[in-house]
Amino acid sequence: MIRRLIVLGLLVGGALLLEPLRVPTEGVIAPRSLFLFGILLLTADTFGEFAHDLGVPRLVGYLVAGLALGPSASGIVPAGVLDDLGMMKRLAVGLIGLLAGAELRISDLRQRYRQVLFIVVIQMALVMLVLTAVALIGHPWIPFLAPLDTMPLLFVALLLAATLTVNSPMVTLALLTETRAAGPLAKTTLGVVLVADVAVILVFTAAFSLAQASLGGETGSAPEILLHLLLEVLGSITAGAIVGGVLALYLRFVKRELVVFAVVLVFAAAAAAEALGFELLLSLLVAGFLVENVAPVRAEPLVATLHQMAVPVFVVFFAIAGAELHVREFGALWPLVLTFALARMGAIAVGATTAGRLAGAEPQVTKYAWTGLVSQAGVALGLATIVATRLPVVGAAMQTMIVGVIAFNESVGPVLFRRGLDRAGEIVVR
Amino acid sequence: MQTTLAAIAVVTVGYILAYLLFDRLRDRYGYVGGAEYVLIGVLLGPKVTGLLDARQVQDLTPIVSLALGWLGMLLGTYFRLPTMALIHGEHMRVAFSEAVATFGVALAALLGVFRYLAGSSWPEAAVQAVTLAAVATLSSPAAVDAVVDRTRNRPRILPVLQLTARIDALVAVVAFGLVLAIIHQGEVAPDVRPPTATEWAVINLAVGVASGVLFHLFLGPRGHLDEGRLFTALAGAIVVASGASYYLNLSPIYTNLVLGFILANSGSAHRDVTRLLLSTERPVYLALLLFAGAAWSPGAADLLFIAPLFVIIRLASRFLGGRIAGEYVASPELRTPGLGRGLLAQGGIGVAIAVNYSQVHSHLAPATVLTATLLSVLLFEIVAGREAAAWISSLKERPAAEPYVEGRSPVGSA
Repeated sequence: MIRRLIVLGLLVGGALLLEPLRVPTEGVIAPRSLFLFGILLLTADTFGEFAHDLGVPRLVGYLVAGLALGPSASGIVPAGVLDDLGMMKRLAVGLIGLLAGAELRISDLRQRYRQVLFIVVIQMALVMLVLTAVALIGHPWIPFLAPLDTMPLLFVALLLAATLTVNSPMVTLALLTETRAAGPLAKTTLGVVLVADVAVILVFTAAFSLAQASLGGETGSAPEILLHLLLEVLGSITAGAIVGGVLALYLRFVKRELVVFAVVLVFAAAAAAEALGFELLLSLLVAGFLVENVAPVRAEPLVATLHQMAVPVFVVFFAIAGAELHVREFGALWPLVLTFALARMGAIAVGATTAGRLAGAEPQVTKYAWTGLVSQAGVALGLATIVATRLPVVGAAMQTMIVGVIAFNESVGPVLFRRGLDRAGEIVVR
Repeated sequence: MQTTLAAIAVVTVGYILAYLLFDRLRDRYGYVGGAEYVLIGVLLGPKVTGLLDARQVQDLTPIVSLALGWLGMLLGTYFRLPTMALIHGEHMRVAFSEAVATFGVALAALLGVFRYLAGSSWPEAAVQAVTLAAVATLSSPAAVDAVVDRTRNRPRILPVLQLTARIDALVAVVAFGLVLAIIHQGEVAPDVRPPTATEWAVINLAVGVASGVLFHLFLGPRGHLDEGRLFTALAGAIVVASGASYYLNLSPIYTNLVLGFILANSGSAHRDVTRLLLSTERPVYLALLLFAGAAWSPGAADLLFIAPLFVIIRLASRFLGGRIAGEYVASPELRTPGLGRGLLAQGGIGVAIAVNYSQVHSHLAPATVLTATLLSVLLFEIVAGREAAAWISSLKERPAAEPYVEGRSPVGSA
């Protein structure tokens, strides 16, 4: 670890020596971004190993590395570089989505649909309820809620709760890949976070429209909002079905160069998602799911290829996600952030445990499923950005607090889930 | 929305047609190239459907730099000193003569083309000619190894053929690296004296050496990293070294060649590194072809003649270089005037050089260089395997030469 840190220090020092020889390069992203991307990868790998040595998930190390190099801490990787690396992050999101979908087997879902549905519905409802209540009770102390009238207050509190309901399929999948856990707890948690990922888009969009309308922003009528919402979800599912169809045809007739094909497919899907306005993660989840479960092809080669690519993909995703975390916000708002984060965690624990009992789940699922639902990452950050950019009056301030809560959950969640998997006896690789 | 859907349809149909066409070539001629990936790149790129616009193509730079460096590093790992020390002096002489003669012939012809037919100034013609001469000199070690593996005939020239493919690639990458250093692009900070050509060449080498030493320390002892983590660490190392080279408008291929050479010679992790680099060479090459396709444009119409002319020049210089080395330099035992026939495959480094050139010399007919390279690489990949196999079969069978060390290749552990 120390040797590696010294090497990283020398690399950064060497870069400073080269600074005066800098020359403009056209036609590529800034060379500095490229160099710093390499430093970020190496640092993330080093910190990941250190985290692993401490018995903490590697992805926490990746996040800490990103955080340490990112604009919030040392600033070695500035915000402009993160913008340059946006495409890399989208690629990582897409590949993780594809892998997550392919990992979700219909036989497992059939066996566990009752538990999955119970946990999704009950924990989401409880988290929404508890966080809305906390926001309403504590609104005099929350700067962006304090000046609001009753109706805007209620709807903004609902939106805040909806945004914080989101789980993290990325973290779940990264941990399952790292530990190779595949027992009841692993399968149930994966099912819950993936189903909840779809459900939360619906809940968020509804809450967002209500909050936007109550604050006097531009919005449509209720049927229009619902239609837009349905179109987005249906569009993503349709796009996923098309991508899945293309993948299935490729697996059936070509079967070669799967790494290149998967990368190209994700890039094309990302470009199409941007142009057509569907959600990349959801559509690739659907694509992976269809190829694994519906298409009459053997998807094992694809799943094996995606697993081979998983480690570097997770490093890229979580290192960039770490660099995008804003810890300064956490510093300024920590009492509020901690209150919301702990209230959320408590609601998840009570909700998931109750749901597990009601659904007759295995004891380890009942006891530890909540640990896999605490993490938040990319999807939640994306929703927070929507809040900041499109919600008048309170959006920016609200994003600051949400990002603080996400930072907390992103750091604590993976540790909790690993501990849960450990206690449930499902960790295969330590 | 309709435009995007139409673009997706064009890409899908284009890919299917290309696949069917090249699958037939695969069946009939044993074609292993990746022309369909160039085509899909062109279809995805801003020139046809625009599904990937110019900005998005630029956003792919980290992957492209990784691909350029990956191929450079793989080449560097071929040159393990303990193994090279066992190489017969005559073999080395033949290999270097072939590479230098091929490069010299191609350079002379291309200088004439760029200076007198294309009307470039001497310095401009020199940069373009050296770049394309480097591309012409390249022969693919992996493709040559594959042919040698398949053939039953074991003439004495086989180890020389494998060695020559590596030396060809070495000469090409070094020549290209040097031309970017000597005829350097861009300006330094106002308060710094601009380095001389020699200083740029030394800086380029120093970046590679420093990266190599640091990553040797970073990777640590063998068995320390599993494959996923080794991939991440290598990718990080390559992107850092490539980033430093881009920063200075130097060649990341050359820098990573030096990096690979040092890693191959300085630690016990070299086997893991080489195995990983070899196992991922094909996807990296195809990704590069795809990017080259997306970034491709035909360029100035009056310079389009250079592409087919370059293919002819490469063919002539390959045969002439092979003849000079195989007939006049080789001893009677190794005399094989048709050596060039076994070295037609170009491989990914050619595309890497052209892509690197178009990034650094974006004002100096980059489209012409890229077009000529892509045409040459794709055409020669159709015929190279079959030609090399036919040539080896035609040679008189003699007792096989002893391999220099472990493994099948004369140098390196590949």
